[in-house]
Amino acid sequence: MSVTEQHVTAAVQAVAQVQEQAAEELPNLITILEHFFPKSHFVHFLFSWENLVFSFLVLGFITFRAISAARKNEFLPKGLQNRWELVMEGLAEFVTSILGPRGMEHVPFLGTMFLYILLQNWLGLIPLMKSPTSAWSTTIALALITTVYIQWVGIKEHGFFNYLKHLAGNPIGILGVALIPLMLVINLSIEFFAVPLSLSLRLFANVSSEDKLLYKFAELNAMYHWLPFFFQLFANVLVILFSFIQAFVFLLLSTVYISLILPHEHDEDHNAASEKSPSPIHSPST
Amino acid sequence: MEFFQENIHLTEVLVQLIAFLIVFFTLKKFAWKPLLAIIQSRRERFESEWGGIEKTKQEVAALQKDYLAHLQKIEEEARAKMQEAVQEGRRLAREIQEKARLESQTSFEKAKANIELEVQKARLTLRQEIADLSIRVAEKILTEKMAGAQQEKKALEILGELEKKL
Repeated sequence: MSVTEQHVTAAVQAVAQVQEQAAEELPNLITILEHFFPKSHFVHFLFSWENLVFSFLVLGFITFRAISAARKNEFLPKGLQNRWELVMEGLAEFVTSILGPRGMEHVPFLGTMFLYILLQNWLGLIPLMKSPTSAWSTTIALALITTVYIQWVGIKEHGFFNYLKHLAGNPIGILGVALIPLMLVINLSIEFFAVPLSLSLRLFANVSSEDKLLYKFAELNAMYHWLPFFFQLFANVLVILFSFIQAFVFLLLSTVYISLILPHEHDEDHNAASEKSPSPIHSPST
Repeated sequence: MEFFQENIHLTEVLVQLIAFLIVFFTLKKFAWKPLLAIIQSRRERFESEWGGIEKTKQEVAALQKDYLAHLQKIEEEARAKMQEAVQEGRRLAREIQEKARLESQTSFEKAKANIELEVQKARLTLRQEIADLSIRVAEKILTEKMAGAQQEKKALEILGELEKKL
Protein backbone atom coordinates (compact mmCIF):
# COMPACT_ATOMS: atom_id res chain seq x y z
CA MET A 1 0.00 0.00 0.00
CA SER A 2 1.52 3.38 -1.04
CA VAL A 3 1.85 6.40 1.25
CA THR A 4 -0.93 8.24 -0.59
CA GLU A 5 -3.30 5.31 -0.23
CA GLN A 6 -2.52 5.08 3.48
CA HIS A 7 -3.30 8.79 3.85
CA VAL A 8 -6.56 8.40 1.97
CA THR A 9 -7.56 5.42 4.11
CA ALA A 10 -6.76 7.33 7.31
CA ALA A 11 -8.72 10.33 6.05
CA VAL A 12 -11.70 8.16 5.12
CA GLN A 13 -11.65 6.54 8.56
CA ALA A 14 -11.51 9.94 10.24
CA VAL A 15 -14.39 11.21 8.15
CA ALA A 16 -16.37 8.05 8.89
CA GLN A 17 -15.90 8.62 12.61
CA VAL A 18 -17.05 12.21 12.32
CA GLN A 19 -19.97 11.23 10.11
CA GLU A 20 -21.11 8.64 12.62
CA GLN A 21 -21.42 11.40 15.17
CA ALA A 22 -22.64 14.09 12.78
CA ALA A 23 -26.25 13.06 13.20
CA GLU A 24 -25.98 14.29 16.74
CA GLU A 25 -26.22 18.02 16.28
CA LEU A 26 -28.36 20.81 17.67
CA PRO A 27 -31.63 21.35 15.80
CA ASN A 28 -31.72 24.31 13.46
CA LEU A 29 -34.53 26.28 11.86
CA ILE A 30 -34.72 24.01 8.82
CA THR A 31 -34.71 20.73 10.76
CA ILE A 32 -37.47 22.11 13.00
CA LEU A 33 -39.51 23.16 9.96
CA GLU A 34 -38.94 19.74 8.42
CA HIS A 35 -40.10 18.15 11.65
CA PHE A 36 -43.33 20.15 11.69
CA PHE A 37 -44.01 20.18 7.92
CA PRO A 38 -42.68 16.86 6.64
CA LYS A 39 -44.87 16.94 3.55
CA SER A 40 -44.05 20.45 2.42
CA HIS A 41 -42.00 20.44 -0.79
CA PHE A 42 -40.48 23.80 -0.03
CA VAL A 43 -39.35 22.69 3.42
CA HIS A 44 -38.05 19.48 1.96
CA PHE A 45 -36.13 21.48 -0.65
CA LEU A 46 -34.62 23.65 2.13
CA PHE A 47 -33.78 20.53 4.12
CA SER A 48 -32.08 18.94 1.12
CA TRP A 49 -29.92 22.07 0.60
CA GLU A 50 -29.55 22.91 4.27
CA ASN A 51 -25.83 23.71 4.15
CA LEU A 52 -26.20 25.83 1.06
CA VAL A 53 -29.03 27.83 2.63
CA PHE A 54 -26.89 28.72 5.64
CA SER A 55 -23.89 29.37 3.39
CA PHE A 56 -25.95 31.78 1.30
CA LEU A 57 -27.04 33.53 4.49
CA VAL A 58 -23.39 34.12 5.36
CA LEU A 59 -22.48 35.13 1.80
CA GLY A 60 -25.41 37.55 1.69
CA PHE A 61 -24.46 39.03 5.04
CA ILE A 62 -20.81 39.53 4.05
CA THR A 63 -21.72 41.01 0.65
CA PHE A 64 -24.34 43.37 2.03
CA ARG A 65 -22.21 44.61 4.93
CA ALA A 66 -18.99 44.94 2.92
CA ILE A 67 -20.62 46.82 0.06
CA SER A 68 -22.53 49.05 2.51
CA ALA A 69 -19.23 49.87 4.21
CA ALA A 70 -17.46 50.51 0.89
CA ARG A 71 -20.28 52.75 -0.39
CA LYS A 72 -19.74 55.18 2.50
CA ASN A 73 -16.29 55.97 1.07
CA GLU A 74 -15.52 58.60 3.71
CA PHE A 75 -12.01 59.88 4.21
CA LEU A 76 -12.49 59.87 7.97
CA PRO A 77 -14.14 56.48 8.53
CA LYS A 78 -16.67 55.80 11.26
CA GLY A 79 -19.06 53.04 12.21
CA LEU A 80 -19.35 50.20 9.72
CA GLN A 81 -16.67 51.54 7.35
CA ASN A 82 -14.26 51.88 10.26
CA ARG A 83 -14.82 48.29 11.36
CA TRP A 84 -14.40 46.90 7.83
CA GLU A 85 -11.27 48.95 7.27
CA LEU A 86 -9.89 47.62 10.54
CA VAL A 87 -10.52 44.02 9.43
CA MET A 88 -9.18 44.60 5.92
CA GLU A 89 -6.04 46.37 7.12
CA GLY A 90 -5.40 43.60 9.64
CA LEU A 91 -5.77 40.93 6.94
CA ALA A 92 -3.64 42.91 4.49
CA GLU A 93 -0.87 43.33 7.04
CA PHE A 94 -0.93 39.63 7.91
CA VAL A 95 -0.83 38.50 4.26
CA THR A 96 1.88 41.00 3.24
CA SER A 97 3.97 39.99 6.28
CA ILE A 98 4.23 36.51 4.70
CA LEU A 99 4.08 37.23 0.97
CA GLY A 100 5.76 40.64 0.98
CA PRO A 101 4.45 43.71 -0.87
CA ARG A 102 3.30 41.62 -3.83
CA GLY A 103 0.96 39.71 -1.53
CA MET A 104 -1.39 42.69 -1.64
CA GLU A 105 -3.01 41.36 -4.82
CA HIS A 106 -3.98 38.14 -3.00
CA VAL A 107 -5.57 39.95 -0.04
CA PRO A 108 -9.10 40.13 -1.54
CA PHE A 109 -9.20 36.36 -2.15
CA LEU A 110 -7.64 35.32 1.13
CA GLY A 111 -9.60 37.94 3.09
CA THR A 112 -12.94 36.93 1.58
CA MET A 113 -12.15 33.27 2.23
CA PHE A 114 -11.16 33.96 5.85
CA LEU A 115 -14.28 36.02 6.60
CA TYR A 116 -16.51 33.48 4.88
CA ILE A 117 -15.09 30.55 6.86
CA LEU A 118 -15.05 32.46 10.14
CA LEU A 119 -18.68 33.55 9.89
CA GLN A 120 -19.75 30.08 8.76
CA ASN A 121 -17.98 28.59 11.79
CA TRP A 122 -19.58 31.08 14.17
CA LEU A 123 -23.04 30.70 12.64
CA GLY A 124 -23.47 27.43 14.57
CA LEU A 125 -23.34 29.36 17.84
CA ILE A 126 -26.51 31.29 17.01
CA PRO A 127 -29.64 29.44 18.13
CA LEU A 128 -31.57 27.78 15.27
CA MET A 129 -28.59 28.19 12.92
CA LYS A 130 -25.99 25.72 11.69
CA SER A 131 -22.32 25.88 10.71
CA PRO A 132 -22.18 24.98 7.00
CA THR A 133 -18.49 24.15 7.49
CA SER A 134 -19.55 21.14 9.55
CA ALA A 135 -20.33 19.50 6.17
CA TRP A 136 -17.49 18.15 4.09
CA SER A 137 -19.14 19.31 0.85
CA THR A 138 -18.73 22.92 1.97
CA THR A 139 -15.12 22.63 3.09
CA ILE A 140 -14.06 20.61 0.04
CA ALA A 141 -15.52 23.32 -2.20
CA LEU A 142 -13.52 25.98 -0.35
CA ALA A 143 -10.37 23.85 -0.45
CA LEU A 144 -10.80 23.23 -4.20
CA ILE A 145 -11.24 26.94 -4.88
CA THR A 146 -8.08 27.64 -2.86
CA THR A 147 -6.14 24.92 -4.72
CA VAL A 148 -7.22 26.25 -8.11
CA TYR A 149 -6.35 29.79 -7.04
CA ILE A 150 -2.88 28.69 -5.87
CA GLN A 151 -2.19 26.86 -9.16
CA TRP A 152 -3.50 29.81 -11.17
CA VAL A 153 -1.08 32.09 -9.26
CA GLY A 154 1.70 29.60 -10.07
CA ILE A 155 0.88 29.64 -13.79
CA LYS A 156 0.57 33.44 -13.81
CA GLU A 157 3.85 34.02 -11.99
CA HIS A 158 6.03 31.36 -13.66
CA GLY A 159 4.43 31.08 -17.09
CA PHE A 160 2.79 27.85 -18.26
CA PHE A 161 5.97 25.99 -19.31
CA ASN A 162 7.92 26.97 -16.20
CA TYR A 163 4.93 25.87 -14.14
CA LEU A 164 4.98 22.45 -15.84
CA LYS A 165 8.75 22.37 -15.22
CA HIS A 166 8.07 23.09 -11.57
CA LEU A 167 5.57 20.22 -11.43
CA ALA A 168 8.17 17.97 -13.07
CA GLY A 169 10.62 18.85 -10.28
CA ASN A 170 12.78 21.27 -12.35
CA PRO A 171 14.71 18.40 -13.99
CA ILE A 172 18.46 18.83 -14.53
CA GLY A 173 20.48 16.23 -16.44
CA ILE A 174 19.52 12.74 -17.52
CA LEU A 175 18.59 11.66 -14.01
CA GLY A 176 16.25 14.61 -13.65
CA VAL A 177 14.57 13.79 -16.95
CA ALA A 178 14.28 10.13 -15.95
CA LEU A 179 12.59 11.13 -12.70
CA ILE A 180 10.01 13.38 -14.41
CA PRO A 181 7.13 10.81 -14.25
CA LEU A 182 7.77 10.13 -10.58
CA MET A 183 8.04 13.82 -9.73
CA LEU A 184 4.90 14.59 -11.71
CA VAL A 185 2.95 11.96 -9.79
CA ILE A 186 4.29 13.19 -6.44
CA ASN A 187 3.72 16.87 -7.15
CA LEU A 188 0.29 16.36 -8.70
CA SER A 189 -0.75 14.19 -5.74
CA ILE A 190 0.42 16.80 -3.28
CA GLU A 191 -0.82 19.91 -5.10
CA PHE A 192 -4.19 18.58 -6.31
CA PHE A 193 -5.02 15.92 -3.76
CA ALA A 194 -3.18 16.22 -0.44
CA VAL A 195 -3.56 20.00 -0.13
CA PRO A 196 -7.34 20.19 -0.68
CA LEU A 197 -7.86 17.02 1.34
CA SER A 198 -5.89 18.34 4.34
CA LEU A 199 -7.47 21.81 4.14
CA SER A 200 -11.02 20.54 3.86
CA LEU A 201 -10.75 17.66 6.30
CA ARG A 202 -9.13 19.71 9.05
CA LEU A 203 -11.81 22.38 8.89
CA PHE A 204 -14.72 19.96 8.53
CA ALA A 205 -13.56 17.66 11.34
CA ASN A 206 -12.90 20.50 13.77
CA VAL A 207 -16.14 22.38 13.15
CA SER A 208 -18.29 19.26 13.25
CA SER A 209 -16.56 18.30 16.51
CA GLU A 210 -17.35 21.72 17.91
CA ASP A 211 -21.02 21.22 16.94
CA LYS A 212 -20.91 17.84 18.61
CA LEU A 213 -19.44 19.39 21.76
CA LEU A 214 -22.20 22.00 21.90
CA TYR A 215 -24.82 19.30 21.37
CA LYS A 216 -23.41 17.13 24.15
CA PHE A 217 -23.39 19.99 26.64
CA ALA A 218 -26.96 20.90 25.69
CA GLU A 219 -27.89 17.25 26.24
CA LEU A 220 -26.22 17.30 29.65
CA ASN A 221 -28.15 20.44 30.56
CA ALA A 222 -31.42 18.72 29.70
CA MET A 223 -30.45 15.55 31.58
CA TYR A 224 -29.08 17.11 34.75
CA HIS A 225 -31.49 19.99 35.24
CA TRP A 226 -29.28 22.78 33.87
CA LEU A 227 -26.45 22.15 36.29
CA PRO A 228 -23.77 21.98 33.60
CA PHE A 229 -24.84 25.38 32.27
CA PHE A 230 -21.52 26.97 33.17
CA PHE A 231 -19.70 24.15 31.41
CA GLN A 232 -21.70 24.90 28.31
CA LEU A 233 -20.84 28.57 28.66
CA PHE A 234 -17.19 27.56 28.78
CA ALA A 235 -17.69 25.31 25.73
CA ASN A 236 -19.25 28.23 23.84
CA VAL A 237 -16.20 30.37 24.57
CA LEU A 238 -13.99 27.51 23.38
CA VAL A 239 -16.02 27.15 20.20
CA ILE A 240 -15.74 30.88 19.49
CA LEU A 241 -11.98 30.64 19.96
CA PHE A 242 -11.46 27.42 18.00
CA SER A 243 -13.70 28.59 15.16
CA PHE A 244 -11.48 31.62 14.82
CA ILE A 245 -8.36 29.48 15.01
CA GLN A 246 -9.64 27.14 12.29
CA ALA A 247 -10.42 30.04 9.97
CA PHE A 248 -7.01 31.52 10.76
CA VAL A 249 -5.26 28.21 10.09
CA PHE A 250 -7.01 27.96 6.72
CA LEU A 251 -5.88 31.51 5.91
CA LEU A 252 -2.34 30.86 7.13
CA LEU A 253 -1.94 27.63 5.16
CA SER A 254 -3.42 29.15 2.00
CA THR A 255 -1.01 32.09 2.32
CA VAL A 256 1.93 29.76 2.87
CA TYR A 257 0.95 27.64 -0.17
CA ILE A 258 0.83 30.80 -2.27
CA SER A 259 4.21 31.91 -0.92
CA LEU A 260 5.65 28.49 -1.85
CA ILE A 261 4.46 28.73 -5.42
CA LEU A 262 5.55 32.34 -5.92
CA PRO A 263 8.94 32.84 -7.63
CA HIS A 264 11.77 32.96 -5.10
CA GLU A 265 14.68 35.39 -5.12
CA HIS A 266 16.99 33.21 -7.20
CA ASP A 267 14.17 32.71 -9.74
CA GLU A 268 13.65 36.45 -9.86
CA ASP A 269 17.36 37.02 -10.45
CA HIS A 270 17.23 34.44 -13.20
CA ASN A 271 14.25 36.12 -14.82
CA ALA A 272 15.43 39.64 -14.03
CA ALA A 273 15.18 40.76 -17.62
CA SER A 274 11.52 39.86 -17.92
CA GLU A 275 10.62 40.73 -14.35
CA LYS A 276 8.01 43.36 -13.85
CA SER A 277 8.57 45.97 -11.15
CA PRO A 278 6.85 44.92 -7.92
CA SER A 279 3.49 46.44 -7.28
CA PRO A 280 3.31 49.12 -4.59
CA ILE A 281 2.65 47.89 -1.09
CA HIS A 282 -0.88 49.02 -0.63
CA SER A 283 -2.21 49.48 -4.11
CA PRO A 284 -5.25 47.24 -4.61
CA SER A 285 -5.21 44.95 -7.56
CA THR A 286 -7.74 45.63 -10.22
CA MET B 1 -15.54 5.54 -3.61
CA GLU B 2 -18.98 4.93 -2.18
CA PHE B 3 -17.88 6.65 0.97
CA PHE B 4 -16.94 9.81 -0.94
CA GLN B 5 -20.20 9.68 -2.88
CA GLU B 6 -22.14 9.49 0.38
CA ASN B 7 -20.35 12.36 2.07
CA ILE B 8 -19.47 14.69 -0.78
CA HIS B 9 -22.47 15.92 -2.75
CA LEU B 10 -21.05 17.12 -6.04
CA THR B 11 -23.99 19.43 -6.79
CA GLU B 12 -23.57 21.06 -3.41
CA VAL B 13 -19.84 21.46 -3.99
CA LEU B 14 -20.45 22.94 -7.42
CA VAL B 15 -23.07 25.42 -6.17
CA GLN B 16 -20.84 26.33 -3.26
CA LEU B 17 -17.95 26.93 -5.68
CA ILE B 18 -19.99 29.11 -8.02
CA ALA B 19 -21.58 31.06 -5.16
CA PHE B 20 -18.24 31.76 -3.56
CA LEU B 21 -16.68 32.84 -6.85
CA ILE B 22 -19.59 35.22 -7.56
CA VAL B 23 -19.32 36.74 -4.09
CA PHE B 24 -15.52 36.91 -4.31
CA PHE B 25 -15.54 38.82 -7.62
CA THR B 26 -18.38 41.07 -6.41
CA LEU B 27 -16.59 41.91 -3.18
CA LYS B 28 -13.28 42.35 -4.98
CA LYS B 29 -14.80 44.97 -7.27
CA PHE B 30 -17.26 46.69 -4.95
CA ALA B 31 -15.75 46.30 -1.48
CA TRP B 32 -12.07 45.39 -1.39
CA LYS B 33 -10.97 47.70 -4.18
CA PRO B 34 -12.68 50.92 -2.92
CA LEU B 35 -11.86 50.28 0.74
CA LEU B 36 -8.21 49.43 0.08
CA ALA B 37 -7.99 52.44 -2.26
CA ILE B 38 -9.29 54.80 0.42
CA ILE B 39 -6.94 53.26 2.99
CA GLN B 40 -4.07 53.79 0.54
CA SER B 41 -5.07 57.38 -0.23
CA ARG B 42 -5.37 58.12 3.48
CA ARG B 43 -1.96 56.59 4.10
CA GLU B 44 -0.43 58.65 1.27
CA ARG B 45 -2.01 61.83 2.60
CA PHE B 46 -0.74 61.14 6.11
CA GLU B 47 2.71 60.40 4.75
CA SER B 48 2.75 63.62 2.71
CA GLU B 49 1.48 65.63 5.68
CA TRP B 50 4.00 63.92 7.90
CA GLY B 51 6.68 64.86 5.36
CA GLY B 52 5.40 68.46 5.48
CA ILE B 53 5.55 68.43 9.26
CA GLU B 54 9.10 67.09 9.13
CA LYS B 55 10.04 69.80 6.62
CA THR B 56 8.46 72.50 8.79
CA LYS B 57 10.26 71.11 11.82
CA GLN B 58 13.55 71.31 9.93
CA GLU B 59 12.75 74.87 8.86
CA VAL B 60 11.87 75.81 12.44
CA ALA B 61 15.11 74.22 13.64
CA ALA B 62 17.07 76.18 11.01
CA LEU B 63 15.24 79.38 11.98
CA GLN B 64 15.95 78.70 15.64
CA LYS B 65 19.61 78.17 14.83
CA ASP B 66 19.70 81.43 12.85
CA TYR B 67 17.87 83.21 15.64
CA LEU B 68 20.29 81.92 18.26
CA ALA B 69 23.26 82.93 16.09
CA HIS B 70 21.68 86.34 15.57
CA LEU B 71 21.00 86.66 19.28
CA GLN B 72 24.58 85.74 20.07
CA LYS B 73 25.80 88.28 17.55
CA ILE B 74 23.58 90.94 19.12
CA GLU B 75 24.86 90.02 22.57
CA GLU B 76 28.45 90.23 21.36
CA GLU B 77 27.76 93.60 19.75
CA ALA B 78 26.05 94.84 22.91
CA ARG B 79 28.99 93.62 24.99
CA ALA B 80 31.44 95.34 22.64
CA LYS B 81 29.40 98.55 22.74
CA MET B 82 29.22 98.35 26.50
CA GLN B 83 33.00 97.92 26.66
CA GLU B 84 33.39 100.82 24.30
CA ALA B 85 31.06 102.95 26.43
CA VAL B 86 32.97 102.00 29.57
CA GLN B 87 36.26 102.91 27.87
CA GLU B 88 34.73 106.16 26.67
CA GLY B 89 33.43 106.88 30.15
CA ARG B 90 36.81 106.18 31.64
CA ARG B 91 38.44 108.40 29.05
CA LEU B 92 35.94 111.17 29.76
CA ALA B 93 36.48 110.75 33.48
CA ARG B 94 40.19 111.00 32.98
CA GLU B 95 39.75 114.09 30.82
CA ILE B 96 37.44 115.67 33.37
CA GLN B 97 39.88 114.84 36.13
CA GLU B 98 42.74 116.24 34.10
CA LYS B 99 40.76 119.33 33.26
CA ALA B 100 39.75 119.80 36.87
CA ARG B 101 43.31 119.30 37.97
CA LEU B 102 44.54 121.86 35.44
CA GLU B 103 41.79 124.27 36.42
CA SER B 104 42.57 123.86 40.08
CA GLN B 105 46.25 124.29 39.32
CA THR B 106 45.47 127.43 37.34
CA SER B 107 43.25 128.73 40.12
CA PHE B 108 45.89 127.91 42.62
CA GLU B 109 48.53 129.66 40.55
CA LYS B 110 46.27 132.64 40.07
CA ALA B 111 45.44 132.78 43.73
CA LYS B 112 49.11 132.48 44.58
CA ALA B 113 49.90 135.26 42.15
CA ASN B 114 47.12 137.37 43.62
CA ILE B 115 48.38 136.68 47.10
CA GLU B 116 51.89 137.62 46.10
CA LEU B 117 50.57 140.70 44.41
CA GLU B 118 48.62 141.59 47.50
CA VAL B 119 51.65 140.94 49.64
CA GLN B 120 53.71 143.18 47.41
CA LYS B 121 50.99 145.77 47.47
CA ALA B 122 50.82 145.45 51.23
CA ARG B 123 54.55 145.72 51.43
CA LEU B 124 54.50 148.80 49.25
CA THR B 125 51.71 150.28 51.34
CA LEU B 126 53.56 149.37 54.49
CA ARG B 127 56.73 150.78 53.13
CA GLN B 128 54.94 153.99 52.28
CA GLU B 129 53.29 154.07 55.67
CA ILE B 130 56.62 153.33 57.34
CA ALA B 131 58.10 156.10 55.30
CA ASP B 132 55.20 158.35 56.19
CA LEU B 133 55.45 157.38 59.83
CA SER B 134 59.17 157.85 59.79
CA ILE B 135 58.64 161.24 58.27
CA ARG B 136 55.95 161.97 60.80
CA VAL B 137 58.17 160.73 63.61
CA ALA B 138 60.92 162.80 62.33
CA GLU B 139 58.57 165.75 61.99
CA LYS B 140 57.30 165.28 65.49
CA ILE B 141 60.78 164.87 66.85
CA LEU B 142 61.75 167.94 65.12
CA THR B 143 58.60 169.94 65.92
CA GLU B 144 57.91 168.81 69.46
CA LYS B 145 60.18 168.96 72.27
CA MET B 146 59.78 166.03 74.34
CA ALA B 147 61.45 164.35 77.11
CA GLY B 148 63.91 161.65 76.31
CA ALA B 149 61.73 158.95 77.91
CA GLN B 150 58.57 160.24 76.34
CA GLN B 151 60.28 160.33 72.98
CA GLU B 152 61.40 156.78 73.43
CA LYS B 153 57.90 155.75 74.51
CA LYS B 154 56.36 157.53 71.59
CA ALA B 155 58.81 155.89 69.21
CA LEU B 156 57.95 152.44 70.67
CA GLU B 157 54.22 153.11 70.29
CA ILE B 158 54.71 153.99 66.69
CA LEU B 159 56.81 150.87 66.14
CA GLY B 160 54.17 148.71 67.90
CA GLU B 161 51.53 150.26 65.70
CA LEU B 162 53.63 149.40 62.67
CA GLU B 163 54.06 145.79 63.81
CA LYS B 164 50.28 145.43 64.18
CA LYS B 165 49.73 146.69 60.70
CA LEU B 166 52.24 144.25 59.35
